[in-house]
Amino acid sequence: MKLEDIARELGLTELTPEVTGNAEAEIERGYASDLLSDVLAHAPEGGVLITLQVHLNVIAVASHAELAAVIFAGDRRPDDDVRAKAVAEAVSLFVSPADTFDIVGRLYALGVKGNHA
Amino acid sequence: MTPPAIVERALAEGLGMIAVCDHNSARNAAAVQEAAGARLAVLAGMEITTVEECHVVALFPDAAAAQAAGAEVGATLGQIDDGYGTFFGEQRVLAADGGERARETLALATATTLDVEAAVELVHGHGGLAIAAHIDRRSFGVIGQLGLFPAAAGFDAVELSRHVAAGSPDEARFAVHGLPMVYSSDAHYQSDIGAARTVVYCERPTFAELALALAGADGRSVGDA
Repeated sequence: MKLEDIARELGLTELTPEVTGNAEAEIERGYASDLLSDVLAHAPEGGVLITLQVHLNVIAVASHAELAAVIFAGDRRPDDDVRAKAVAEAVSLFVSPADTFDIVGRLYALGVKGNHA
Repeated sequence: MTPPAIVERALAEGLGMIAVCDHNSARNAAAVQEAAGARLAVLAGMEITTVEECHVVALFPDAAAAQAAGAEVGATLGQIDDGYGTFFGEQRVLAADGGERARETLALATATTLDVEAAVELVHGHGGLAIAAHIDRRSFGVIGQLGLFPAAAGFDAVELSRHVAAGSPDEARFAVHGLPMVYSSDAHYQSDIGAARTVVYCERPTFAELALALAGADGRSVGDA
């Protein structure tokens, strides 16, 4: 499913409208973790990350793992410098008031799967 | 662990300086200093849990600075509830003789609202040293939690746990951050005291000398035990 369709279906708030290149990206895989070392090791290329962490390193890790987007759960919002870094690295950021479990469940229902599906 | 027992064990282990670093609190440090008297150098410290669940070891010039920093850290914590003690134990504030002075009602085992950068800034603001705790561990170290070492945070040193052998390839892996490396026991029980140690090349065991050693200044330095 396209990233822009996922954002609409889940009612996500987009934090990085400047990043336009990812809207049409097909998202097939996702990963959910708050340990960024674990994200670095296991997140699927081109996928979406759901996390509670809003530290600047989320962007470094997402960029390194070549993720298309990050969804911050529980209405956690990153600082401006984190957002700016995401724009520079072309990583799309979204925020949702829902918790990680609910976001993952809804993504799964839309056909976005994990590494072992 | 009572102040007298900590001091006796540290002396028996041949340590010249220890730091008292309760999780998110500095309320027990002065009592251990008093119990030690002139026999052992005791630094007042704290192990801060950041919002990312990274542990930051903070060492302060004196107990008053540690207490002031501790009050700021404590202001970000919630209160304990009924079940808390069952899981995390009683939070006793002890006197120098080991007697109970008070019970801490802040939930010290939980994370503060400070991010790593804010925690380091808070420590520096009270004249302290900020050390990235047990960065070799998969959980609660800055690398485990954040994936990459947060170089911009301004740490004064990195700490390795007893699980990394001095001089090993593992140790070399953490040297790349360009910061001095210290080993400490992270003692949660009396028997842990002395399980890891750092040699500090300095004039005398004081906070000021340790700060010089971590900075590699005036001929002071730190090395493996």
